[in-house]
Amino acid sequence: MKFGLFYELQLPKTFEGETWDPDAEHRIYHEMLDQVELADKLGFDYVFEVEHHFLEEYSHSSAPELMMAALSQRTKNIRLGHGIVLTPPAYNHPARVAERISALDLLSNGRVEFGTGESASDMELGGFGVTRGLKKAMWEEATREITRMMNMEPYPGFQGEYFSMPERNVVPKPMQKPHPPLWVAASRRETTMVAARLGMGSLGFGFETPEELGERATEYYRLVREECMPIGQATNPALAVLNTFMMGPSDEEAIKRSANGPGFFSYSLGYYYNPLTGGRHTPGKRNIYRDYVNASSEAQAAVAVQARQGFLSDQEIAAGEPADEVQKALYRAARSGNAIGTTKRLRETLKLYEDQHLDTMIFVAQAGDRRHEHIMESIEMFGKELLPEFKERHEKVHKPWRAEQLRGVDFPINSSI
Amino acid sequence: MAKPEQIKDPALRAQIEQAFMEMRSGQGGAAVKTLAAAYLAMLAQKPSMLDETIELRPGRKMPAVMRWPALGANLTLESVLAKQPDIVFEREKFAVSEAITYYEFTLDSAISAGL
Repeated sequence: MKFGLFYELQLPKTFEGETWDPDAEHRIYHEMLDQVELADKLGFDYVFEVEHHFLEEYSHSSAPELMMAALSQRTKNIRLGHGIVLTPPAYNHPARVAERISALDLLSNGRVEFGTGESASDMELGGFGVTRGLKKAMWEEATREITRMMNMEPYPGFQGEYFSMPERNVVPKPMQKPHPPLWVAASRRETTMVAARLGMGSLGFGFETPEELGERATEYYRLVREECMPIGQATNPALAVLNTFMMGPSDEEAIKRSANGPGFFSYSLGYYYNPLTGGRHTPGKRNIYRDYVNASSEAQAAVAVQARQGFLSDQEIAAGEPADEVQKALYRAARSGNAIGTTKRLRETLKLYEDQHLDTMIFVAQAGDRRHEHIMESIEMFGKELLPEFKERHEKVHKPWRAEQLRGVDFPINSSI
Repeated sequence: MAKPEQIKDPALRAQIEQAFMEMRSGQGGAAVKTLAAAYLAMLAQKPSMLDETIELRPGRKMPAVMRWPALGANLTLESVLAKQPDIVFEREKFAVSEAITYYEFTLDSAISAGL
């Protein structure tokens, strides 16, 4: 199993204030650079950064290509993942996406992971005039064409449902041929299967349990082998899942350091993605962090219960969680999940995912009001005390298993797993 | 591992297999039409599915069948509450990824309903 870090660039307002500390955005951007630089030195495999717009407090990462460009010059080996680029054309013209991905691939000496998606928040859809009911169709059309732009000379042009352009040679071309590995954001099981059928990696945002993952991995790889219709010119068979992450000298200390990270992450995500709340957001005026802290006693109790549930079994957790997949993902994001605790606890719990053949675990470390020094310490602890043994088993155990799963696949494979 | 062979009802299985072929040949719109018909047939065959609910958040329940993806072929809540489920098409064309989403959902639903 490989490991990565995941960034929304969360920035809660102060409880008392109506806005942020004037240096706050500058600070979190540079903290991320430091965190990823350290992760790279310690051998982490990936960093994934989101593209979100207008989701104040929840995500201040609207130009991830610039952060990735900066990271390309401060790191040597870590792969630079877009998690994800919004590809419906109203957000980003497909030719501009192809150009940016290729330029970043050149700058980083071929380290780009091209994650794609569409987002579902009213703030973003409405802000760019993307019709909710068409966003998946827009995503598919644009993503398919972007991969063609990255390797056709010239790109012959396209008359589509959602964008059109004349013949042009889209330059530069990426270093990785025919294009960097493709991923799609998947918060529901169905989307993971869409990923398999289209030959894309699944960036699982559903905080899946090891048991669910085992079933998904089996089905995902079967579909890749038997029913794949690649959207690009090369496939990227890969399953990644998110997990909240914080380490400490004791489980209690790790939970304390985790602070309101998972709770705020889930609360603000739920706020923006629920049309009844996110659709009525008053830009620049609301203090979501204060709302979260002041949430009703019932909601606070729920958060407290969720925090304790980091130490329940998956069966116990499953007994208390919502059935709806989106709500379930929020519920799981809010609890102090499987990757919070000591080296011993993480070794045991991450091994459960490894045993189910997960390709990549991506840690959400920067969240809510967590502190930079605790994130740095966690990255260091994990990198020194756990990463080497997982790397060794990845080479000796996982790679042969994966090769077996992909036996007989006759499409080109371009994957960094 | 969900496969059409696991569906017991021959007519339903044939619909799912037809949708698969349509999807594979790039006919997203045709596949979604076939899958919508299959889903409505399932609900007619097993109306108890309309009574199942899922909890969105404490105290807020929703008919479980409303998890049918709303990507342009939308199951209307009113029709479900009236026990006469209906899927309204907002458009004729569907992308392959949309058809796959409907396909996965319909296949899983048929198998978990024991049909």
